[in-house]
Amino acid sequence: MASAMSTKILGPLRLSKQLISASFCRSKSDLTAATGHTFTEYEKQRDKKDVSIIVNEKMDISAISGVPEEHIKTRTVRIFVPARNTMQSGTYNTRRWRMEFDSRERWENPLMGWISTGDPLSNLEVNFNSKEDAISFCEKNGWDWFVEEEKKPKMVKKSYGANFAWNKRTRVSTK
Amino acid sequence: MATNRLVQQGVKQVKPLLSLDRTEARRRVLNLYKAWYRQIPYTVNAFYIPVTVKQGREKLRELFMKNKHVTDIRAIDMLVIKGQMDLVETANIWKQRNHVMMFFKDTVNPKPTDFLSKFYEGND
Repeated sequence: MASAMSTKILGPLRLSKQLISASFCRSKSDLTAATGHTFTEYEKQRDKKDVSIIVNEKMDISAISGVPEEHIKTRTVRIFVPARNTMQSGTYNTRRWRMEFDSRERWENPLMGWISTGDPLSNLEVNFNSKEDAISFCEKNGWDWFVEEEKKPKMVKKSYGANFAWNKRTRVSTK
Repeated sequence: MATNRLVQQGVKQVKPLLSLDRTEARRRVLNLYKAWYRQIPYTVNAFYIPVTVKQGREKLRELFMKNKHVTDIRAIDMLVIKGQMDLVETANIWKQRNHVMMFFKDTVNPKPTDFLSKFYEGND
């Protein structure tokens, strides 16, 4: 029912479009599908055999990611461990690796004094579980990168009792 | 600041997008190029853009050659799919004039190269 309706509606429309566009536009069948065949045909073919191809392990998606060329070739990524929140003792921040782009093109808004930027990647913040993940992500996207190694704090053993150990000269009164 | 490159060598097995080998991918690219090449006179006419057929074909060639370094079969297939979508959108006039002119980037100012014009731009 619905399909009949749609053909009814679409029928004259299509006709008129053909009439209008006949002079300067080719019909759709003239457009060679570069993909070779229709999607359903392709699906059938893929179902028939479970095929796989061999490609290089190094993947580069910079050509298809849609990122402008100037933001691939001229940007450098810093990979680092974010600092612990200084106001709190929790260390959860330092359990991840983060990537950050070099900053550029910031200016102060003349009216309000807010900071503006013309850099589309300035606020991109991606977190990773490991350094290697971050590196492979940058490699995949074609960005230059460098790693700021993680600085682990040295734990100092502190105990009050240690002040009165036998080899400390703090027990002066009782000898 | 030293930037690094990860050395990744070796191959892996993946699912194909469309093509199974390089010849097939190449054929798809050539098919797409031919389809675009033949569509350009109609596009120039239909959209009434200030571009000659020759200029359009030069731009087409330039846009294809921009990706000539791509070797991954899946990436080539994805580029072909995107190009095909663009072609269909252009041929059916789902695009508008400015969308077609966006290929030519005629409203983008070239970046300043010499010292003084960089200074006038405000970034050095």
